Amino acid sequence: MDSRIWAVGGGKGGTGKSFVSSSLALYLASLERDVLLVDADLGGPNLHTLLGMPNGHPDVGDFLTGRVALLDGAAVETPFRGLRIIRGTANVLFIANLNHYRKLKLLRQIRRLPAQDIILDLGTGSAFNTLDFFLSANSGILVATPEPTAIENSYLFLKSCIMRVLKLYMDHFRIPDLHRKMLEQIEKNSQSLYGFFKSLAESDRSYGTILYRALRNFRPCLVMNKVRDEREAELGKAVADVARKYLLIDLHYLGAVPYDERIHASLKAMQPFLPAHRDSPVAKSVRDIAEELAYSVEFSHRTPPEVRFPGAR
Amino acid sequence: MIKRIDDWNYYELLNVERTASKEEIWEAYQAALETYRPGSLASYSLVTEEERSLIMERIEEAYRTLREPEKKRDYDMALLRRSFYYSPKASFRKSLGKVEIEEIAPKRSFWRRIRGFFSRRRPGNA
Repeated sequence: MDSRIWAVGGGKGGTGKSFVSSSLALYLASLERDVLLVDADLGGPNLHTLLGMPNGHPDVGDFLTGRVALLDGAAVETPFRGLRIIRGTANVLFIANLNHYRKLKLLRQIRRLPAQDIILDLGTGSAFNTLDFFLSANSGILVATPEPTAIENSYLFLKSCIMRVLKLYMDHFRIPDLHRKMLEQIEKNSQSLYGFFKSLAESDRSYGTILYRALRNFRPCLVMNKVRDEREAELGKAVADVARKYLLIDLHYLGAVPYDERIHASLKAMQPFLPAHRDSPVAKSVRDIAEELAYSVEFSHRTPPEVRFPGAR
Repeated sequence: MIKRIDDWNYYELLNVERTASKEEIWEAYQAALETYRPGSLASYSLVTEEERSLIMERIEEAYRTLREPEKKRDYDMALLRRSFYYSPKASFRKSLGKVEIEEIAPKRSFWRRIRGFFSRRRPGNA
């Protein structure tokens, strides 16, 4: 089955990653698509609560401990048509510190899940495991809120992703000296990532080409959550522009989700917000974001067309 | 190719299309000022003060050029020449799926070449 994997992550806690991922899943399921929501927040799973479901077995822990042979065996039906969920585990402690073998096992199984849309709800922070889930998806969606703390952590998250992409790329093509240089400059000399890129591209053109090649396929998306006015919604565009210029990545701004007091109430009632408020501005924004996302996935692996005017003088 | 702030063209700096109207350019200029002004939320923690002053300078320069129809036309022509005009004698190099042109030295006249030949030889003879 031709499935799409969307990973929802972010640097700061409380920005609404689980809300965005569950809302996207509910919307896609309402379009009669076959959707599977995976709670990949191994350290603090609570996606099931957001959907009004109890904790229980089977869950992702059953797969990791071998009680269920395939990850798909851990998926359970939700009260919503077309939507299944793989719950996070509360029984296996310290599972967030997945070892390399278990991580690969999980990643491989996620790719084989039989669903049209697979949405991974990731944990907070920039741990290697979280980054690898984010990078392995067709589209990584970064959720931020219009506050300095969230913006700061979003840039840190993106920088960590970039460093991870560069490390994997340099390991693959066996360029360890460049990786060493990068760590020295950025960690020891506390140079900015942009400053490092700039000095590297100036010192050797071929290094610039390597960076370009490594980063051109890393095209994350951004959602600005809990915005209170137009100005805060516009902030997403500005952040995408800054990332494009100073982190040299194509950050695609999907749109903003307005702040709604009723979300808190629905969370307390353990009922998902979207099905009960289909005509709310939040529901509309989720629809727009899903459409924008479908568009971005469609075009993310295409290089922009080259414009040429052979006869132009 | 990795682009430095100095290499972004005015349209890329302001995030506008080349066909943008005067009003669109004004709005883009205001948005760019808002993004990169000291204390702005969008560039918080990522852009250093030095980088900030450099890009603010470039944004001003971009707006000063694009707001004047005449300057804009000249700039557009220069951009067009730089990106799409391939001289038949330019040496081509295939790289990253895009054709890059290497600068070729301007052609010198016959007499300048003769003079150059002698002026080069003279220190050796002395």
